[in-house]
Parts: sequence; structure tokens; C-alpha cells
Amino acid sequence: MGNGTEEDYNFVFKVVLIGESGVGKTNLLSRFTRNEFSHDSRTTIGVEFSTRTVLLGTAAVKAQIWDTAGLERYRAITSAYYRGAVGALLVFDLTKHQTYTVVERWLKELYDHAEATIVVMLVGNKSDLSQAREVPTEEARMFAENNGLLFLETSALDSTNVELAFETVLKEIFAKVSKQRQNSTRTNAIALGSAQAGQEPGPGEKRACCINL
Amino acid sequence: MAKSSRENGPRAPAAGGSLSGTRESLAQGPDTATTDELSSLGSDSEANGFAERRIDKFGFIVGSQGAEGALEEVPLEVLRQRESKWLDMLNNWDKWMAKKHKKIRLRCQKGIPPSLRGRAWQYLSGGKVKLQQNPGKFDELDMSPGDPKWLDVIERDLHRQFPFHEMFVSRGGHGQQDLFRVLKAYTLYRPEEGYCQAQAPIAAVLLMHMPAEQAFWCLVQICEKYLPGYYSEKLEAIQLDGEILFSLLQKVSPVAHKHLSRQKIDPLLYMTEWFMCAFARTLPWSSVLRVWDMFFCEGVKIIFRVGLVLLKHALGSPEKLKACQGQYETIEQLRSLSPKIMQEAFLVQEVVELPVTERQIEREHLIQLRRWQETRGELECRSPPRLHGAKAILDAEPGPRPALQPSPSIRLPPDAPLPSSKAKPPKQVQKEQQKRTKASGQLEKSPGLNQTMGVTAAGDACLPQDVPPEDPISYHPVPQDSAPQDLAHHCSQESLTSQESEDTYL
Repeated sequence: MGNGTEEDYNFVFKVVLIGESGVGKTNLLSRFTRNEFSHDSRTTIGVEFSTRTVLLGTAAVKAQIWDTAGLERYRAITSAYYRGAVGALLVFDLTKHQTYTVVERWLKELYDHAEATIVVMLVGNKSDLSQAREVPTEEARMFAENNGLLFLETSALDSTNVELAFETVLKEIFAKVSKQRQNSTRTNAIALGSAQAGQEPGPGEKRACCINL
Repeated sequence: MAKSSRENGPRAPAAGGSLSGTRESLAQGPDTATTDELSSLGSDSEANGFAERRIDKFGFIVGSQGAEGALEEVPLEVLRQRESKWLDMLNNWDKWMAKKHKKIRLRCQKGIPPSLRGRAWQYLSGGKVKLQQNPGKFDELDMSPGDPKWLDVIERDLHRQFPFHEMFVSRGGHGQQDLFRVLKAYTLYRPEEGYCQAQAPIAAVLLMHMPAEQAFWCLVQICEKYLPGYYSEKLEAIQLDGEILFSLLQKVSPVAHKHLSRQKIDPLLYMTEWFMCAFARTLPWSSVLRVWDMFFCEGVKIIFRVGLVLLKHALGSPEKLKACQGQYETIEQLRSLSPKIMQEAFLVQEVVELPVTERQIEREHLIQLRRWQETRGELECRSPPRLHGAKAILDAEPGPRPALQPSPSIRLPPDAPLPSSKAKPPKQVQKEQQKRTKASGQLEKSPGLNQTMGVTAAGDACLPQDVPPEDPISYHPVPQDSAPQDLAHHCSQESLTSQESEDTYL
């Protein structure tokens, strides 16, 4: 990203989709990774995931997007799900206020299980159903701002902002990772280009790239 | 700006209005069903040319989960013979379960004839007994208003179960309605359990084979006897079973076990949907049905065996592992299993031959439970111990209870003469009567069998359907001197008593 940066690092960023059952996580996943949408996509049980590689500047970033059941009960089994995640999309259905009021609970759940540095975007999905809106944009945006979250409204059905949502999150992650690498370079004088090969992160730093779990 | 590596533009937004499916309340009645004209394949009925889509023999739209993998067709002759045997078994169920359970097991392994599968599952699971013990209960639950919090979640799931199956494709259609009724009834029957999403596919499979009330009681049996705790708060049972599965894998396929270990892949990442849905969302449909046939007979060990077989064949050799460099690739591999290993004949054979027993599972269960207690404290939801199949369930039933009354579909008025071709020569009948008396005599002597066995001597006699099940058992001594006609069945005339030897191939 800066001058003299090596091109073509391969990064893998694990991003998790969280939120109440039925808000559209699975369709956001399928829209972003396969450009597909289905009204009748199956209830997610267990874990689903898909990948898609995007170019951020000159770097190829493979987004590994994880999806799981949103029902309360399933939170008991999700710690493996969060492990190693560097980004999260916290999704609510903007036509169902109940799915928004529980966002704080989801945030807590997220911070209980994931790294504190995780990049989080609040996503109000189903923007195509404008007549049925129950959550005002401004309200959600304020909440996001007050909690240090990114924010967008999307529609997996008509694709509005889906790409933008994921790419924004990935860019944020990438920026953080690049910063860490730059710091690490300064302190450890490690040659660029060897980030792939199992280099140790600098003291106190977390390595986000190439991690699965 | 970031450049995406995919060129296609977004799909054109679908025509038609807003999606109101998720906001409908089926609790208010089915007349609010909307025909969904949007792009999804699961869209509604004839209006959209659904009638043009080809449906396979299981009810799936051709190309979806259905018929792939069903290479073998049972020859019609064999099928008919199996059907008569099963009819005999069902009409004499208690006796068969007491004396010839191994034969039942073998026949379940061979596959239950489709025409009798629904009935057989009810008998095997004890759902039929439950229904008889609780007359009117389902109707009562069905008519009660449910807890809105559960209803809301259930409604969101109705169109998300087997949407490519003709039974469930229509929003607000009968399949989805019945699914709603069954799931709602369960939340009322067990309010402390409530609803767990994996119950929906389970209930859906049951509904494909039997009406709502029967499906409800089979669901109860699955949730309480076969897989207790699977659907409860905290999902502790499934976590334990994940550890058990992984542990058992070590002997079954050390290569796969080592790989999963090294990659640090939590069992929950691959076995959750497998186990919670009893493979209904994983395997080709003919294999699902075969697995369920065995599962109802032999219990959860079948589920474990299927899981182990899949793991062994997906990850069990160095060549297969070449494609699984990382955690992600490994899990991917487990999600796109080769059709060969899921194919009905292959899979059933492997499962039957895999030497993993109930005892091993229970032993491992204790080990994992202890580990859990050491690392995580006590379980929050203690479930009752699971019962390993039909025999265990039957034996655990508190007696006495009336014998299972067959539910014949063909009934003759009491005086109707039997077709003469079916009448047995008196000598044959005499022999059979003696055999039965002998059998019942032996049954009475053996300890541990409850009083239900006493009725089986006259198990062929069908009582009319409206005999209330609460009647105490009446022991019918076998009439030694009655002519064949007096044993007139009001039952299906297809029912042949076992004249052939026990050792027939079929």
C-alpha cells in the first residue's frame, strides 16, 4: 500500500457473519461469494462458509466468510466458529425491530469469543423492503458510531451494498494488518516478501494474515 | 477502488412485490398464503409452471437432493415379498420384537419397503404406542395457542426445509402447515425444551411418510429416546457426541484422526448438521432413508457409524489428504463428499460392517463426560440416558399396556368370508396355533418380559379400531379347535403369517 511495499501477498481473512435467525446472513454470503440469492435457502445448522478473493490495491485478499445458525441456542457451540476471525458482519433485519434490539447482546457475544481487534460492521439487511422498515437508518448509524462499528444497509436480494460491505470490512482489516506489518518491519527488519513463510509476529502483535483458526 | 475478481453483475432484482412470507402468521390460518413469484426455485406451484418440473420418486425436483445415488432398484418380486413379511411383522409386532428382533434388525438393514416405511418407523420408534397412550393429546396441543416467541422462529423456518421437495415447496401449503403444527405442538408438549432449528428437517422427513399426529409422536421419540439433549438448551449432548465421534475415529481411521488433530478441527465444524439432522441434509435421499431405517431399529450407533464411514473415506488416505492442506480445505472436503461414498449400497454395507458397538459408545460417553466435568464443570442440562434402538425403547416402556393394534387399511365387515385361496388347511393352522401357544408359554416363563407379551398369542386377531387403548390387557387363549375362518382377520388380506422358514434370504 505504501511505497516500496511488496505486491502480491496472499492474505486469508476470516470473516464471520453473526446475527439473529432469519436476518439474511446466508444470503449475504451467497450473494457475495456466488452472486446467488434464494428465498428458500435452507436454515443454517452447523457451519457454512464460502470464499472469494478480492484485490485491495495490489494485494490479493482471500475472504473466508463463515456463516452459522443465529438461533440463541446455537451460541453454546460457536467458540470454534469465532476462533481466528479478524472481521465480523453483525447483521440485523431492518424490517424486524426485534433483530436490532438484540445487537448489543451479539456484540457482547462477539467480544467474549473473538479478538478485541476484530473489525466489526453493523449491517441492516433487507433494504429492498423499504415499506416494511422498522429500524430508522439514523438510529442504527448512531449506535454503530457510538460503538466503534462500521455501518451499512444492504439488500442481499437486489445486491445493494453487499460488495461494498464486505470490501469495506476487508479493507479495514487489511489496513490494520499492513500497519502491524510495517511496525514489525521497523522493529525486526524482516525483509518483505517473507510474510508468507511462518514468520513470527513482533512482540505483542497479532498476525492476522494467513490464519485460518 | 478495489477490483473484484468476479465479472458478472448482480442478478436482476426480481419482479413482484415485497417478500411477505416471513411475516405471515400461520397461526391465524392458511388463507394468507402468498404465491411467491420471485426468482427462487422454491417458488410456488402451478402458477409458475411448477407442474412442468420433473419430480423424482421421492418427491424432489429432479436435480436436487433426490435421486442421485440410487443406482439399485429392488426387483418387484423381491419388493412384494418383503412387503408381506413386513406386514406380518407389523401385525405381530410384540411377538416379533420379543422373539425375533434380530430378524427385524436384518430387515431394517435391507431397507424397509417404501409402502410400509411410515408405519414401520412408527412401530420401531414406539411412536405408535405413544399415540395410543395419549389419545387426543396432539389435537389438544394443535388447538392451543403457542408461545409467540417460538412461533415466530418456527414460521421463519417453514419455507427453509427441503424447499425442493413438492411437499414443502408451497408457502402456506399443507406440508408447511403440518410442519408448523408438529413443531408448535412440540414446544407446547415440552415447553422447557422449546424449539431447536434442527428439529425442522427431522419433522419434515417424518411428515414425508406419515400424517402430522403420527409424525409428532415419532419426533417426540427421537428427541427423548434416541437423541435426548440434542435439541435442548446449551446443546451439550451434541458437543459430547462430537468428542465421542472424534475419539472413536482414532481406531477406525488413524490417518483421518491424525489429520483432523493436526489441523485442530473441532468436530462441531463438521458433525453438527450430520448428527442433528440424522444426515437428512447430507446424503442422497435413498441413502437417507436406508440410514433412518437402521437408525430407528438400532439407535444412535448408526449415526456414529455413518459419520465414521464418511470421515474414513473422505480423509482416510494420503491421496485424499493431498487436497486438504489447511483447515478450510479439509472442512470443504467434508462438505463436498464424493457421491461414491454416499451411495446407498456402499454406505449401508460399510455401516453394517463397521464394528462400533453401543458399549463402545457408552464407554466413550463416560470418558468424555468426565473430561467435560473436569474442564467445564457440571452439565447444565442433564438429559436422560439414550436408548439404543427399538428394542431398548420397547423394553423401557412401563407395562402393562395393550398390544399394538394394527391399523389396517383394508377392513372387511365381521361376517365377510375370506377368499378361499387364502384359507389355510386346518392342519397348518393347528400347527401354527401350537407354535404360538408354545411361544407364549415360553414367553411367560422368561423373566424380564412384561405382561405385554401375553397378548401376542392371539396377535393375529384384529380388534376394531375404536377399542379404547386404556382397556386392560385381556389375555386371549388361542382357541384350539376353531376353524380357520374364526380367526378371521379384519386385516389386510395381504397379511401372510410366516410360513416360510426363518432363514430366507429375503
